[in-house]
Amino acid sequence: MRNTLPAAAAILLSLGVPGSAHRLDEYLQATIISVEKDHVQAFMRLIPGVAVTAIVIPSIDTNGDGIISDTERQSYAQRVLGDLSLSIDGHPLKLRLGPVGGTGIGEMKEGLGEIRIEFTADLPRGNGSGRRLIFENHHQSRIAAYLVNCLVPRNKAIQVTAQNRNEDQSYYQLDYVQAGSRSDPRASLGAIALLFSAGLVLLLRLRARSGVLPRMTANELLEDKSKC
Amino acid sequence: MRRLSTRRFCALVSICLSLEPAIAQTTTARIVKAGNAFLATLDEKQRQTVTFAFDDEKQRQRWSNLPTSFVQRGGISLKQMNAPQRDAALALVSSALSPRGFEKVEQIMEGDEVLKSGEGNNPMFGKDLYFISLLGKPSEKDPWMLQFGGHHLALNITIAGEQGILTPTLTGAQPGLFTKDGKTVRPLGQESDKAFALLSALDEKQRKQAILGYRLVDLVLGPGQDGKTIQPEGLKASAMNESQRAMLVGLISEWANIIHESAAAARMAEIKAGLDETWFAWSGPATVTPGKNIAAYYRIQGPKLVIEYAPQRLGGDPSMHIHTMYRDPTNDYGRKAPAK
Repeated sequence: MRNTLPAAAAILLSLGVPGSAHRLDEYLQATIISVEKDHVQAFMRLIPGVAVTAIVIPSIDTNGDGIISDTERQSYAQRVLGDLSLSIDGHPLKLRLGPVGGTGIGEMKEGLGEIRIEFTADLPRGNGSGRRLIFENHHQSRIAAYLVNCLVPRNKAIQVTAQNRNEDQSYYQLDYVQAGSRSDPRASLGAIALLFSAGLVLLLRLRARSGVLPRMTANELLEDKSKC
Repeated sequence: MRRLSTRRFCALVSICLSLEPAIAQTTTARIVKAGNAFLATLDEKQRQTVTFAFDDEKQRQRWSNLPTSFVQRGGISLKQMNAPQRDAALALVSSALSPRGFEKVEQIMEGDEVLKSGEGNNPMFGKDLYFISLLGKPSEKDPWMLQFGGHHLALNITIAGEQGILTPTLTGAQPGLFTKDGKTVRPLGQESDKAFALLSALDEKQRKQAILGYRLVDLVLGPGQDGKTIQPEGLKASAMNESQRAMLVGLISEWANIIHESAAAARMAEIKAGLDETWFAWSGPATVTPGKNIAAYYRIQGPKLVIEYAPQRLGGDPSMHIHTMYRDPTNDYGRKAPAK
């Protein structure tokens, strides 16, 4: 399809449409992912080039009446979701379709139309603080031009550590750490420190009762700990 | 009598304004004066068409890289004005910009005229299809906004007291290189050359970080993508040496310095303060034909800055068709300015 520019130009000329202002032989699919503590939300914009509308429009306007009904748009969005995959730490996630919107066929024929899709997925709790989200998009791969990015997480406890993609961005891997997770090393260290402090105080109190150390020393030590 | 060229007229206006008493010569006062002068040239119906409420969100977002026949802009076009109105409109735009900033705007518009000729005089293009609108009333105290744009141009300029905010702004060029009066014009040539010079100044390790291993076909945060901050990528400026950092600052100034000098100086100070946390990322060919534009995408992203440079494949040679985006995710449309 990448070599269809001459054909695309011919189509445009036949339509009386100048090619210079239009997306041509690509189906741009731009996804922006937002990672939250317990779910992932994604926003997709699908923009067919004017030379690929002959492929894309019939797959949306399935009854061919020249109008994209809400039902057709929803149905198409579900099919798009079927071509996506999202996993966390190797476990596939179930995608839930959110709001779907977009322009009409007229705009699409001019290379200006788009379909907007939102979807979400719940995130199970992880076994560690480090997490790996993988997003794959194989929708209309022969004509697709993919873009994938993630928003800077609003939740400060989530820090992105790496993003990796393949050349055409059909594969996207997001690594992040989430403070406060069950096995977060920082949380684990805190718990160990707390247990150690409690044990130490208990030991000191027992020893104070047995006269090895004055009681005040243990309290002072406890106060010092609380300042840490 | 020969008509004054737009640039000469604007220069004349600037000289006249500079002769006024110093007391009235803050930059904002000059812009407000130019704004009121423009409004005074319009009839009542035109004034109503050109003015919007300062907080009109729909009008704020009514801009695009696309031709105006596809995405209708608000306000009125240069085509819909008579000569004095057009001159006053361009004088207003000029008053809010630096000389180089206004020159860049003129070159982008001129490029659209070249495109029009190349497309068999297609009425979809041309330098008279640029629209002006005002959000709020020109004021030295209260915030207001000037929008000017059309195909490959969207200036969103918020004036709030002595502050001037240029974000979000879209510039583009098609063709990215043309000749005018025997001279080669590249409206976004510096954006291309300075970026390539910076990439060339990086050592191998830095280049590995800066060059992304995937294809970027378009702007990520273009029209309709307000309020989003994506995770930065590439090479951090804190990992650059002083010479490279200076080159990065020089590259950023190609957008920051479009606005008038005092606002640009404030903006550059803000950008420099966040330079350590600013990233430079490149995707695409790391070579360029001398005298031509790069065919690669790049992005500069800092705490208060997003710049994208995205060559477009549509219409042939990507180096000849460029879209760029300039944003401040913390202050697009001057949202931080005190409410009216």
